Amino acid sequence: MKYIFFCMLIALTINAQAQHADTLSTDTSKSKKLKEVVVTATRTNKTLMQVPMPVTTISNKEIKNRGLVRLNEILNEQTGLSVLPDAHGQGIQIQGFSPDYTMIMLDGLPLIGRTTGILDLSRITTNNIEKIEIVKGPVSSLYGSEAMAGVINIISATPPVGASGSISTRYGTNKNADISLNGAYATQRLSLSGFVNRYSSSGYTLVPESGSATVSPFYGYTLNGTLGYKFSDRTQIKFQVRDYTSTADNNFLVDNDRITGDGTEKTLNASAGLTHRFSDKFTGDVRLYHAGYSTKSLLINNTDNSVYDETFFDQNFNRAELQGDYKIINSLRFTGGVGGQDESVKATRYNDKKTFQSGYAYGQADWTPLKKLDIILGGRFDAHSVYRSQFSPKLAASYQFSDKFVLLASTGKGYKAPDFRQLYLNFTNAIVGYSVFGYEEAATELKKLQDQGQIQAVLIDPATLQRLNAESSTAYNFGFRYKPFTGVMWTVNIFRNNIRDLIDSQPIAIKTNGQSVFSYFNIHDVYTQGAETDISYNFLTHWTVAGGMQYLEAYDQSVLDQIKAGQVFGTDQATRETVKIKKSQYGGLLNRSKYMANARIAYQDDKTGIIASLRAIYRGRYGFSDVDGNGIVNRDDEYVKGYVLFNASVSKLFLNNQLRLQVTGDNIGNYKNPGAISNLAGRLVYAGVTYNFSKQQ
Amino acid sequence: MNKFKTLALVLFSSTALLVTSCSKDNETPEPVAADLTVNTVADLDGSKDAVYYSLSTNTQVTGDDITAGKWDLKFSTTKISVNGGTSGTGTTQAQVVNSTFADLTTAPADGYKTDAADVGAIAGWYKYTSETVPQHAILAIPGKIIVIKTSDGKYAKLEMISYYKGNPDTTTPIFADADNRETITPSRYYTFRFAYQANGSTSLK
Repeated sequence: MKYIFFCMLIALTINAQAQHADTLSTDTSKSKKLKEVVVTATRTNKTLMQVPMPVTTISNKEIKNRGLVRLNEILNEQTGLSVLPDAHGQGIQIQGFSPDYTMIMLDGLPLIGRTTGILDLSRITTNNIEKIEIVKGPVSSLYGSEAMAGVINIISATPPVGASGSISTRYGTNKNADISLNGAYATQRLSLSGFVNRYSSSGYTLVPESGSATVSPFYGYTLNGTLGYKFSDRTQIKFQVRDYTSTADNNFLVDNDRITGDGTEKTLNASAGLTHRFSDKFTGDVRLYHAGYSTKSLLINNTDNSVYDETFFDQNFNRAELQGDYKIINSLRFTGGVGGQDESVKATRYNDKKTFQSGYAYGQADWTPLKKLDIILGGRFDAHSVYRSQFSPKLAASYQFSDKFVLLASTGKGYKAPDFRQLYLNFTNAIVGYSVFGYEEAATELKKLQDQGQIQAVLIDPATLQRLNAESSTAYNFGFRYKPFTGVMWTVNIFRNNIRDLIDSQPIAIKTNGQSVFSYFNIHDVYTQGAETDISYNFLTHWTVAGGMQYLEAYDQSVLDQIKAGQVFGTDQATRETVKIKKSQYGGLLNRSKYMANARIAYQDDKTGIIASLRAIYRGRYGFSDVDGNGIVNRDDEYVKGYVLFNASVSKLFLNNQLRLQVTGDNIGNYKNPGAISNLAGRLVYAGVTYNFSKQQ
Repeated sequence: MNKFKTLALVLFSSTALLVTSCSKDNETPEPVAADLTVNTVADLDGSKDAVYYSLSTNTQVTGDDITAGKWDLKFSTTKISVNGGTSGTGTTQAQVVNSTFADLTTAPADGYKTDAADVGAIAGWYKYTSETVPQHAILAIPGKIIVIKTSDGKYAKLEMISYYKGNPDTTTPIFADADNRETITPSRYYTFRFAYQANGSTSLK
């Protein structure tokens, strides 16, 4: 005991386990994993082996064993996913899609709150999670807009019967602290649970001479409460409320002026759900959901105490949805639903409060004509008050040759609605003087500028514009799950996404100050294609080795066409001469690595309570900037060099697994690239202690 | 010396293109058509005022020669005007063609325009970097070859190389420092190369 307290004092940490005794069960039983049930891909329970789309799951146990406390940390270690550095937060890239195109869900309900399309994953704690499900490929047929690259669904833990609780903290480099307090009480009927999580950091500075922090100090609180009640075996209700508030202490230099001030970010999610089983064949659900997202910042120039920048952003999202699940015959199951949504936004850069209304209906048939064959056919229709209606079909099938080998294929359409920014933005850069107007505002705002005599020439008359269409994609995924012998699991997926009508800004007029006026258009047709594979092997009871990789090509079709026509030029890096760009020199879309890979070795011994793992994550070189002014990546100095991160964690369990001591090292090799990668702070070392208790009834 | 280098380079590259399969021994330089002159102009100073240039004489035009209309091109900040239309008394026309300096061997037969009030004949030769590194810089877009038909019907091709004194490497951290850029490498110093066909044909080879 003395030793334990000593550790606590030294490390100032307690890192507890929300899940009761979950660290004990080994991760080695693959047969268990095959029977694992997933829900996100079809909105119904299906076994992982049978579900005909590429699905990966990350268990709570795995997250805890790796000592990872925020969603970005765990996702960055997954095959084919990369967490991108951006000033607006850490977003996820799936199959070469930007973060805008992946829906992030908490218990099946979409999280909102994106800045320039990025939903910051570090907002989301991994506390009180049962597992994370990742579906790759479009699932707009069930979830609508945004579910174009895929869906990440965070599934909350259900408390065990009895009283339980835990405290868990992790502390380390950059005063990065994560503390969670969990409490739960459950009977056969009632389930009540709640947690508080505090996440804070002193931030870090990659370029000290700039006088500005790369990440400013911040602290954030997550409060979560869940109440469930089973009236009978047939009827149950569930309420969940989650609130997240984060405050950043900004402090940076602009032209030798010190700018300081707080920025706050708030999210609120509240849901209520009622499930009733009418018969063995028919189950109905009704769900109400509210989500809010708001930011506020006030920045003061300390030189003269003037207001440097003051902004606010308020977004609200409300939804009511009805879903039914009907087993027509044993081999045919129908799932369908209807819903309505109301969204609004008010912000500094919008003229007034903007609102959206939309309604939708979806249906899905899950048919097993043969025992080994599973076919899923579904579709969703979305009608919207501002942009054109969308229909998103999906067809998927899996064929189980044996218990060991399953072939899967799917095709479907995904879409992403134009966002508030693309429709309503009204922004003029005060320093440089350019303006950006959303599609709906372009005509009136341009007219205003013309009346003020600020326009030199109109390039595109807004009156001639086509209505802004949703961005959409058609996707093909094909692969297999193979378990050649005990302890080995091998998956392969080949994918192709044809993406149409990508929205980008383009000048519509030239101002008298020489700057442009921009608006949004459906411009680009791009495609991404590639393959990914994952393999894991458990051996000698305690050991797991695993690895994965993704090969990716992501190109703009119009650039390829121009290259073919000999119309794309660049500057040679060495001679600085103008050269014609060949297809082989075209690096494709920015931020996409052609090669990504990861490898892991893990050890778990239940007798001694020792758990350890070492992970290597490789991100191949990727296009970063356009140096020679042709708008594309074609030179070596336009790439960010590839790199490997090494992460490791070691845990020891004590007191019947109630107590865990853990040391975690992130980026042990201390890899940094200050000019290009803002989310690599260098080596991070954390220590943690965990304590949990439960009282069975 | 710069001129010589460029000439040598053009000679070499056109030769290399034509006779890539030849062995080194029997390689004979293909002579440039007698009437074509290739020149590189370095740091033409337009930092204080607009600067005028004559392609036929390969010299800067000043004083009374400007009013007399003895110039072909006028450089004023990022705007390049032709001696014609709303910009001058002549009938000079131009267009921007997507190609490389070496590949553009014949001037297009048509497509030329002169300067008008709202839009110039020469547009889109540069990009303003705005917020991307190097911030707030004017960079020549590669592959924008300006083809000029002078007032006396002679053809020329011209490639802008730099907008900054000394034709600096724009990929360096020094150039990226927008605050000190005007001190180290002042803007409105034009570096460009051009080929002028004196015999009146469209051949620019």
